[in-house]
Amino acid sequence: MNAARLAVQPGFVARAKLAQDVPSRRQSILPSFSQNTYAIPSAHRLSPFSTSSSLSCANHKPPALKPSTSQTDSDGSSIDKYTAGLRQNQEWAAQTAREHPDLFPTLATGQQPQILWLGCSDSRCPETSMMGLQPGDVFVHRNIANILHPGDLSSGAVIEYAVQHLRVKHVVVCGHTSCGGVAAAMGNKPLGILDPWLLPLRQVRERNLALLQSLSADEAALKLVELNVRESLNVVTQKSVVLNAIQERGLEVHGLIYDVASGVLRELDTQDSQDAIRARLVAFKTEN
Amino acid sequence: MSSSAPKKAVDMQKYLKQSLETLFKNNRDWASSKRSTDPAFFDKLADGQAPNYLYIGCSDSRVPANEIMGLEAGEVFVHRNIANLVPNTDLSAMSVINYAVRHLHVKHIIVCGHYNCGGVKAALTPADLGLLNPWLRNIRDVYRLHEKELDQIADEGARYNRLIELNVIESCRNVIKTAAVQQSFQQHGYPIVHGLVFDLHDGLLKDLHVDFEKTLADIKKIYCLSPGSQSEEKE
Repeated sequence: MNAARLAVQPGFVARAKLAQDVPSRRQSILPSFSQNTYAIPSAHRLSPFSTSSSLSCANHKPPALKPSTSQTDSDGSSIDKYTAGLRQNQEWAAQTAREHPDLFPTLATGQQPQILWLGCSDSRCPETSMMGLQPGDVFVHRNIANILHPGDLSSGAVIEYAVQHLRVKHVVVCGHTSCGGVAAAMGNKPLGILDPWLLPLRQVRERNLALLQSLSADEAALKLVELNVRESLNVVTQKSVVLNAIQERGLEVHGLIYDVASGVLRELDTQDSQDAIRARLVAFKTEN
Repeated sequence: MSSSAPKKAVDMQKYLKQSLETLFKNNRDWASSKRSTDPAFFDKLADGQAPNYLYIGCSDSRVPANEIMGLEAGEVFVHRNIANLVPNTDLSAMSVINYAVRHLHVKHIIVCGHYNCGGVKAALTPADLGLLNPWLRNIRDVYRLHEKELDQIADEGARYNRLIELNVIESCRNVIKTAAVQQSFQQHGYPIVHGLVFDLHDGLLKDLHVDFEKTLADIKKIYCLSPGSQSEEKE
């Protein structure tokens, strides 16, 4: 199983090839492509996606299993996924050390990631894999529905540390199609502790109610995914530490949407008007 | 810290644009290679997620969850913050645990720390780090809970490493304190909570062998939120 799994991890192959081309880890994101190459086909942009599974999971109860303390899979099969995961780690470590002999010794000395990734916890959105990057490249915060509450200490500490101390060059907020959090916020079922967490999504829904109601369910969900990314970017750029880094050293802030049905990332146009930028600086930038 | 001037502004803008474009190129390569080995790879993901694991780890760039466990897209639900903390009042972490356990029905919750953790290091340092202070204070609290054990370790590096391990164990404990985990385990026999530490020197995961059932029994004296097997699900 492990050998087969490793064999079908083209991400590693891609990275290994990259490493042969460039001498050092830090050069692994060398420039090479022109700007318009990341526009994705419109078919992807409008590709319908199902929110049914994410919606249904809110109500779905799995068949009750016999209470068990053993670490077996839910279907009772003998594959212990946890043990398998640990075994796969050993293979990964050995393979990575073979392909990049300098990587682990370098990593042990510190990190200099260029990218801060603010994304969703969703299992289908593995940031480092999908960008073909290596350990050491991306500082990561992932929570439910990539929501940034202005006063959330968890994301606030991450942004502060990444921008101020690690001096990342890019801050990326990435939403994704078929987001369960967005689907929940488009519905009206009580979800306990998740309700306060999802409030910002409902606020965005309220502010754009007419637009969302004019769309089909799938289109509305996709629209809310996009609006949510813009709202999180809004919160990121309300932080003085971010505004300072933009002004002083050219920090860039990006909004992306990941299409889980194709695996493709696309960038949103998030350019603000000069007036909006001026207002933002006046209202949010504190003195250094 | 923020005083070093950028290279010529125009050069910097060009460099930033190009370095981002490379990510999109990498992404397309990744997507097409996934598709070439399994044409239905993304179709299956588009139908929904059913991960077996919830991974709670550090934001540190050197510890990418999927890579270190050899897991594919769709296999692990991920929450990453500074120093893999699970503060009891953190709505972000609590929401993640709630969603993963009650809606995704994960079978394993993995709390993964790592040696050389900058967050733990900072918490051992007498410095005012502004906004980071209250977050990192959770780690100082872990030290206080295990003060006797830690103070007996003479070697500074060994003490630092042990605090990293104890911080993982305390995060596991905080996960187990939640109603979602207690009730799900009572009803279904899962999830099981595990504590791991990733070693940057060799890329290997070390299992701290957290005894889930014993820990659950221990914390229940004070933190029990699942009275009786017929209990309603409450927060």
